[in-house]
Amino acid sequence: MRTEAERVAWPFRGLPAFFRTEALVQLHEELAMATSMMVQVVLLIFVWILNPGLIGIALVGAVIFSMFSMGQRVLNEAAYIRIDHKANELYLAGPLSAEAYFLGMSTGILAVYVPPVIAVAILAALVIHATVPILLMLAGLSGAVWLFSASIGYVFSTAFRDNRAIWAYSSLFFNVFGVLPPVFYPFHYFPAPLHPVVLLMPPSAATALLQHAIGATALTPAEIVLAVTGLAVETLGLFLFAIYWARRTVRER
Amino acid sequence: MAGEALRAADLRKVYQTRGAPEVEALSGVSLEVHRGERVALLGRNGAGKTTFLRIASTLLRPTSGKIEVFGYDVDREPDRVRPYIAVVPQEGKPFFHLSPREQVYTYLRARGLSRETAQTRTEESLRRMGLTDFADRLSITLSGGQRQRTMVATVIATEAPLLFLDEPTIGMDPFARRGVWDSLRELTARGSTILLTTHYLDEADALSQRLYIVERGRILVTGTAEELKRSVGGTLKVTIPNGGREAERFRTFGSCVSEGETLSVIVAPERLGELMALAVRIGLTATVGPVTLEEAFLRVVGRSINED
Repeated sequence: MRTEAERVAWPFRGLPAFFRTEALVQLHEELAMATSMMVQVVLLIFVWILNPGLIGIALVGAVIFSMFSMGQRVLNEAAYIRIDHKANELYLAGPLSAEAYFLGMSTGILAVYVPPVIAVAILAALVIHATVPILLMLAGLSGAVWLFSASIGYVFSTAFRDNRAIWAYSSLFFNVFGVLPPVFYPFHYFPAPLHPVVLLMPPSAATALLQHAIGATALTPAEIVLAVTGLAVETLGLFLFAIYWARRTVRER
Repeated sequence: MAGEALRAADLRKVYQTRGAPEVEALSGVSLEVHRGERVALLGRNGAGKTTFLRIASTLLRPTSGKIEVFGYDVDREPDRVRPYIAVVPQEGKPFFHLSPREQVYTYLRARGLSRETAQTRTEESLRRMGLTDFADRLSITLSGGQRQRTMVATVIATEAPLLFLDEPTIGMDPFARRGVWDSLRELTARGSTILLTTHYLDEADALSQRLYIVERGRILVTGTAEELKRSVGGTLKVTIPNGGREAERFRTFGSCVSEGETLSVIVAPERLGELMALAVRIGLTATVGPVTLEEAFLRVVGRSINED
């Protein structure tokens, strides 16, 4: 049992309850749930039509892409409930901590949208004959991409006063990080001079590492170091910044 | 908890937006709200009421000055303040994809209340706000007034020691508004303190034990509604249709305002007979009623605008 002072100081106070709140909100949005994998399925069909031999890579890419797009839902949700509902004022002018608000929202969305992604991951594992280390790698990298995306989504959500402006940025993130770089197709198809750039982008870094691990592409040691370091630093750095930013933006200046 | 429920001293807030001129929303506001009181902040749009409420509720930092809630410095120790407060934000809405029952219950749980307490308080609050029949419908299907009732139900269910309500009854029908007033009276009877803003002057009159009138970031007047009504020079308002052209003749009785052809005069009861006699003498009819808070508000704020 924590004392009152400890309870006030506990940075994640209210997290499980706000997680349940957000999950409940998302569970009532059947249409959004039903269409959550639409882009991934369309891209998988494209790959299947163009080159069925690449479907394993594309399925792995679909898992990573889905985790990235789930993080982007945080951008839309956080901005929407702040601008349209003033939910941040209702919740944060109270005992719920800013950290719990950010993480509860992010994990609540994750919990609701992750089941179909797990199904795609199982399918990918079957197609690529994934070993346990590959599965662990897929889980770890998916988690990192989600955390990166949720963090950047939350931070960006605080910058807007109009929901319509967010649609443009949301679409930009979606395409620049998920569709254009080699997420659904082999890393080596991408122009070589731009390899360092896509290895610094978490979704394509994660898929490049996975493609390398399953033998679908060959990364140089320097490229592996760049991808791993970039992913780790960006994910951790952005997550810590998002935590700091969540606290800072409770109060406007 | 120690100290007054709320104490602000010389509070200033200047909004600085890039590419726009500075706006001084609060220019040295000092006020106190005692424990167990219901206090209303009245003022025109943009007078500074919401800015004050947002600073007091830890959502906005002041430019200078001091503000305390139960003895805690709101600017320096917001985390200490937050467990004791709850806020109905201006234009706030419940989650559209939660029902009122889910909205209230999950909010109470997020504030750290136990399952049992949250359940009991949810049912009680929904009943008080007349939401029982809609309790399991998603808020997106409710009317604007029902959504607002859900917001109020959410916040009053907390029974927090200090409640900030920014236009809590906006969009509600007269029955629902009275339901909110009763609930707020009950809460203060049990020890909570309430600071609210409203544009409904009848609400401020019926509900607040004390009020502050805010204009251009300054407190113009403080006192009870009755004191404010008396401060305009009388307790009766005489309305004289077609009296607009005779305003000069009535000016000796008290403050006169012409709206088109209609003249209204604020008069002390002891001079009412004299005024009515004059009206009859010059062939005018007149009706008499009490001075309302709205009348007093218009005159106090109008006087300030004219002086500026």
